[in-house]
Amino acid sequence: MAHYYDIDDILMEEQLVTVVFQKEANGVGLLDPGAETNRVEQGSKVEMPFWLAHELHQRQAVSVNLPPCFNQKTRKEIQADAACVDLRNRCLYFYELGCKIAPLVGDRTIGSFLLYTLTSRYKDVLSKSHTTVSREAPKLTKEETSLYETAQSSMIAFKKWRMGGPRFQRASILGRKRKPVA
Amino acid sequence: MMYGRGACQLVKELSCSESGQLTAFNNDLFDRVIKECNAHHLELQSLMRKIQEEGLDIQTTRNADHYGAVIHHLSLVRNKRCLMAYVYNRAEIIQSLRWKVGPVLPQEIQKKLSYSEEEYFKNHSAALESYMSELELDLTVDMVPPKDPYIQVRVLDDIGEVLLSDQSSNLARHSMHFLKRTDAEQFISQGLMEELTG
Repeated sequence: MAHYYDIDDILMEEQLVTVVFQKEANGVGLLDPGAETNRVEQGSKVEMPFWLAHELHQRQAVSVNLPPCFNQKTRKEIQADAACVDLRNRCLYFYELGCKIAPLVGDRTIGSFLLYTLTSRYKDVLSKSHTTVSREAPKLTKEETSLYETAQSSMIAFKKWRMGGPRFQRASILGRKRKPVA
Repeated sequence: MMYGRGACQLVKELSCSESGQLTAFNNDLFDRVIKECNAHHLELQSLMRKIQEEGLDIQTTRNADHYGAVIHHLSLVRNKRCLMAYVYNRAEIIQSLRWKVGPVLPQEIQKKLSYSEEEYFKNHSAALESYMSELELDLTVDMVPPKDPYIQVRVLDDIGEVLLSDQSSNLARHSMHFLKRTDAEQFISQGLMEELTG
């Protein structure tokens, strides 16, 4: 239940994956842009959001293909230099999707691959967060970005505590200060 | 736009805004997603009817109509989840408004709420007020652990003559005062005063 309302969980499950239909389905022609009638034929390759692929896989109606962000090419790039790979572009929810899709495609190596990727990139994430001022970190996935931002805010909190200063703040929801009309 | 796309856009709106900030309630998209739910429901029913008309057992049949019906059902449930998450996450922010901003919402925030959300805020606020008055305790002050009972403030907007808990002051713009912290907290979080340190 904790995940039902979670925004990141919902958005992560919207990521597209490719599936192959093992059974035909009537009345859902919109799913397959190549369909001529209002049905999807057995054997059709269709792109669909993860939430639908997951449910249909459980009912044995589709088989799920490995997303390109976990294929050999990406793995080689990460082994060469993990911190330089633009994972954000490949898959914003890289780790979350990897965890959920591993049982669906029957790939037992994804787990260790994800762990290797995170540990290789983690040092870079942490050192950048303590030195850079900008809030946005390019190339980082959602999970890495939240680590980055957490490290940044703890740094800011530490500096604030160290230097003192006003402890009562204007409520952040009120937005930027309006210039009072003279 | 079918199969949960529109609903997902609603949820994306929540994630795009900065944390804790509200966007205007998207009535158009919300209504459109509800219409999609109805469309999925109709498709689902017609596929199920087809199975029954062919004399097959609705519980155990696994033909093309069944899988089509399943996909419509799943899309409906997905839309529901997105709608619920939209309302729920906004409600959490609105709840926190009473604590951060006070019992009266500024116009710029109020116009972003739907009618139900305004009612929700009012009722939540009233429940809190009645609880606090029973305890004779203001729970919305001291949100930061107190160090001194009095603080120095500078007034940013003209507030005028105000009767505070221990004094009556003219809170004119740019004037500085030495106020009880509990009096000043509300004004500071509304942006009408700032704390002076050092």
